[in-house]
Amino acid sequence: MPFVVFLLTALCALAADIAVRREGPSFRISGAKSASGIAVYVGDGDVPPVLGAIEKDGPDFLFRPRFEISRAVASRVVVNGKVFPFPAEKIAVEQTTFVERVYPTATEIPANQLKFYVQFSAPMLRGEAWEHLQLLDALGKPIDLAFLEIDQELWDPDGRRLTVLFDPGRIKRGVLPRDEVGAALEAGKTYTLLAKSGWRDDRRVPLRAEYRQTFRVVAEDRTPIEPTQWRLTVPKAGTREPLVIAFGESLDAALAIRLITVSAPGQATLGPAEREWRYVPDAPWPAAGQQIEIDTALEDLAGNKVGRPFDVDTFERITVRSGRGVIRLPFHPR
Amino acid sequence: MNKWIACAALITGAAFAAPGAGLTAKKLELTSAGPLAFGPPGILFVGDSAGASLIAIDTGDRKARKGSGSIELKGINQKIAAALGTTPDQITIQDLAVNPVSRNIYLSVSRAKTPVILKLDATGKISELPLDNITHARVALPDAPADVKDARGNSKRMETITDLGFADGRVFIAGLSNEEFSSSLRSIPYPFQSAAKGASIEIFHGAHGRFETNAPVRTFTTYTVANKPHLLAAYTCTPLVTIPLSELTPGNKVKGKTIAELGNRNRPLDMIVYTKDGKDYILMANSSRGVMKLPAAKLESYEGITSPVADKQGVPYETLADLKGVQQLDRYDDKNAVMLMQDGGSMDLRTVALP
Repeated sequence: MPFVVFLLTALCALAADIAVRREGPSFRISGAKSASGIAVYVGDGDVPPVLGAIEKDGPDFLFRPRFEISRAVASRVVVNGKVFPFPAEKIAVEQTTFVERVYPTATEIPANQLKFYVQFSAPMLRGEAWEHLQLLDALGKPIDLAFLEIDQELWDPDGRRLTVLFDPGRIKRGVLPRDEVGAALEAGKTYTLLAKSGWRDDRRVPLRAEYRQTFRVVAEDRTPIEPTQWRLTVPKAGTREPLVIAFGESLDAALAIRLITVSAPGQATLGPAEREWRYVPDAPWPAAGQQIEIDTALEDLAGNKVGRPFDVDTFERITVRSGRGVIRLPFHPR
Repeated sequence: MNKWIACAALITGAAFAAPGAGLTAKKLELTSAGPLAFGPPGILFVGDSAGASLIAIDTGDRKARKGSGSIELKGINQKIAAALGTTPDQITIQDLAVNPVSRNIYLSVSRAKTPVILKLDATGKISELPLDNITHARVALPDAPADVKDARGNSKRMETITDLGFADGRVFIAGLSNEEFSSSLRSIPYPFQSAAKGASIEIFHGAHGRFETNAPVRTFTTYTVANKPHLLAAYTCTPLVTIPLSELTPGNKVKGKTIAELGNRNRPLDMIVYTKDGKDYILMANSSRGVMKLPAAKLESYEGITSPVADKQGVPYETLADLKGVQQLDRYDDKNAVMLMQDGGSMDLRTVALP
């Protein structure tokens, strides 16, 4: 009996000698005899230890996790069966992220509208879009499966702009979902795009507020873009007056900025409802002839491209122009 | 660990000169890790959408495991999160691929914004594939987003890789742009050439009705139809289309043949082909129509569907009612598939006997 008491006392003394503290992203373990009994855990139940490396540092051991463990997450270090808990710390985070803008900004969109761009003020978390984005009818009722729910989600490289495609099955002619459940958008009706406030940014913090954008739906647009119909306002030579194109319809905001170019360096912006493109050169316009280059992948709101409608009859011979091309519109500064 | 891998690479290098040809050992910077696929023995292809590239990694994992086995990991998302020192809401499992030689399971995972490739061995042990000094090659996607900046100097265009597959010495890549509405399928020969040419291929598939567009391929696999290798591609709501690989050449405009309509209001998620009792089958996981099993025999005998169908037509299928919430699947061995299944808030990974 005295021997058992001695052993227990010795073990307690041994355990009492072990100390663990956080040191930056690492955990410093003092008093352990070897690295083999050391493991760090996050989460409950049957979970594996946190991946990381244990190294000897003077008399101590240092556990460096492969990825820094946030102090907002509870963790525990186990040394030879003894648990050293590190409870989650409350870290105050402010809800600062918001929806800056939704494109198209037009208040009227065609019934075969192809996509929206939702632009956020800060990078967003991936994998939450389809829970938090809804299309509501005039009574505020969500429309089921309005969008093409792509698991990977179509974000820009910064994670600040989400591209939302309508389910093409609800846009294309003669396609069953549309025949059965109707088009997502019907002409003459009003709809609202809702981004719910629970949608989290990449810090895992919800949006500052929900965002709603309401628009009225007009007739379908099945007409390819025809640049020869655009109205050009030609600038004066020797000035930095803007070169202006009035499209006569709203075009896809991202593509209109990217796919309409002029050889003279400058900046393009879009006018109200993306119906107008304005280009201000960095240096005054020369008095020589210039060209506007239009990549034929340019799309209007319904996905009609230059010289090619959104959908083609595939049971006929495909005769529409395929692939990419460039159309040039010459102009001469006055 | 690295030393061990380097050593293993040295030993196996001579025996497997071909799989690793053109690859060099150095730090691999992944911008993102999306779809995964195994190619030649030990070679793992990783789709890096944010980096607009395809990466071939020599995992050095070529030790064959024979026989058949099983694995079951309940709460795989919790286990992975714990191993990565975080909570399950901070991680996303992007894809899984089974190394057909060793039967180790590879997972592409995002920990917040950081891409990680994890390996699960037969005992369910989770380890990270260390990328600090790994034998690999990277090829930029042909026609990758041009480095065009907007007015603020940012480039916003990105092409998201939705699926990857290796067949016939080529890696096939299905992608979708976040700007122009174009679904693309690219093929890149492996080993990678210094400058891989190969523009995108446009696929028109006659489905549903008369009008179709260049719709995005959701998932695909390869299979021999009438003695010729074909791509079996599944689209949203849910035509199954065959396309001869020989037609998938850069810049070509291809019209696929729709051999089945598997029901609408559904998205196909993943698909494999397997053999059981001497017969071939297709197994397909879906968003709302469960897991489907289709006979793969004589796919060439089905007439192409060229007119609207009420709901289903073409290759018949049975729905496997007991398989619920299947998000990803891959062949595990001759008798089993491995599946990633969502069950409420929990994600389970387990092998399921091939039906």
